[in-house]
Amino acid sequence: MVAMSQAHPRSDEPDLPTKGRWQLSADLFERWRAGDALALDDLVRLMTPALWQVVRACGLDHALAEDVVQHTWLTLVRQHEAITEPKAVAGWLLTTARREAWRVGRRQNRADPTDTTEFDWRLPAQESTEDLAARRQAATQLWQAVSRLNERCQQLLRIIAFDERPDYAGIARDLGTAVGSIGPTRLRCLGKLRALLNGEPA
Amino acid sequence: MTELSDQALLASLRTLWQDIDPVPADLADRVVAAIAVDTLDREWELLSLVAGLETGAVRSDADRLTLQFSDGTTNVLLHVANAAGGKRVDGWVDAQATSIQLLQGTRQWSTQPGEDGRFAFDQIPPGLCHLRLTIQPSSGGHREFRTPAFEV
Repeated sequence: MVAMSQAHPRSDEPDLPTKGRWQLSADLFERWRAGDALALDDLVRLMTPALWQVVRACGLDHALAEDVVQHTWLTLVRQHEAITEPKAVAGWLLTTARREAWRVGRRQNRADPTDTTEFDWRLPAQESTEDLAARRQAATQLWQAVSRLNERCQQLLRIIAFDERPDYAGIARDLGTAVGSIGPTRLRCLGKLRALLNGEPA
Repeated sequence: MTELSDQALLASLRTLWQDIDPVPADLADRVVAAIAVDTLDREWELLSLVAGLETGAVRSDADRLTLQFSDGTTNVLLHVANAAGGKRVDGWVDAQATSIQLLQGTRQWSTQPGEDGRFAFDQIPPGLCHLRLTIQPSSGGHREFRTPAFEV
């Protein structure tokens, strides 16, 4: 995180409220459209981590995920005039990335759940040993619980964790389910996760 | 673990995924670079030099230069003069421009015209520049123009 940490320290990232991200991205997009070229760079740095998560949730490997994130940004630059709601640019980006990820995943036959063996634990180094141990333990617990959810729950939770105002209709289409069932599915997945964290059997 | 609200649970999931599958450190920088290349490669409609350098007469003295660019419909007039801290470029465009950029090598400056179509760039170092404009015609949509390179 060398280059990015200057503009947006990674240690702040997990606590950044998604609502702040939504509003901030709208402001940056409008500044860019008004002629401030540098605002686009800030927008890229702000939203790329969330796009990465949503694309990876769709099961793409590293190289494909990077391609999809880049493609999403180039699409924004080329088609920004077509965005009718500048205030919802975060939603536009997340939805565009997700759609492209599903499309590419289907074509490559790679829409498998993300290969968890690729995951590499990377926790902030500046924490004290006890904090780190506690955090690692909590994270391990959470990860074990998440791993026991079915694939659809894992995908859905990862997508909505990074998307403040998820496009339920689009997600339903991509997951091959009815729009009306996404809300209940979300509730069920969160409930199941909570139960697993409380030590109840899956 | 105590009972968490949906929001708190989603927040800890965010942290979890950012920890175990972080975005590649240089991805955002590579995207910024890709956008820059893509923008350079894009086809910009070229405005031609109507009056200026080739007449010789417009450069009234060594430190003042007037240039006019046009494609027959859209016209841009530029005055370049010496000023404190570098060159000053005053311009006027006769169309609804949403963004105007002055590019010099890898550097660029952006502005928007006022209601009368006037715009200005200050403290520009001497060198070869060109101007890019995004115009919103009254018919809708947008058009992108660039001028040939000129020396400030």
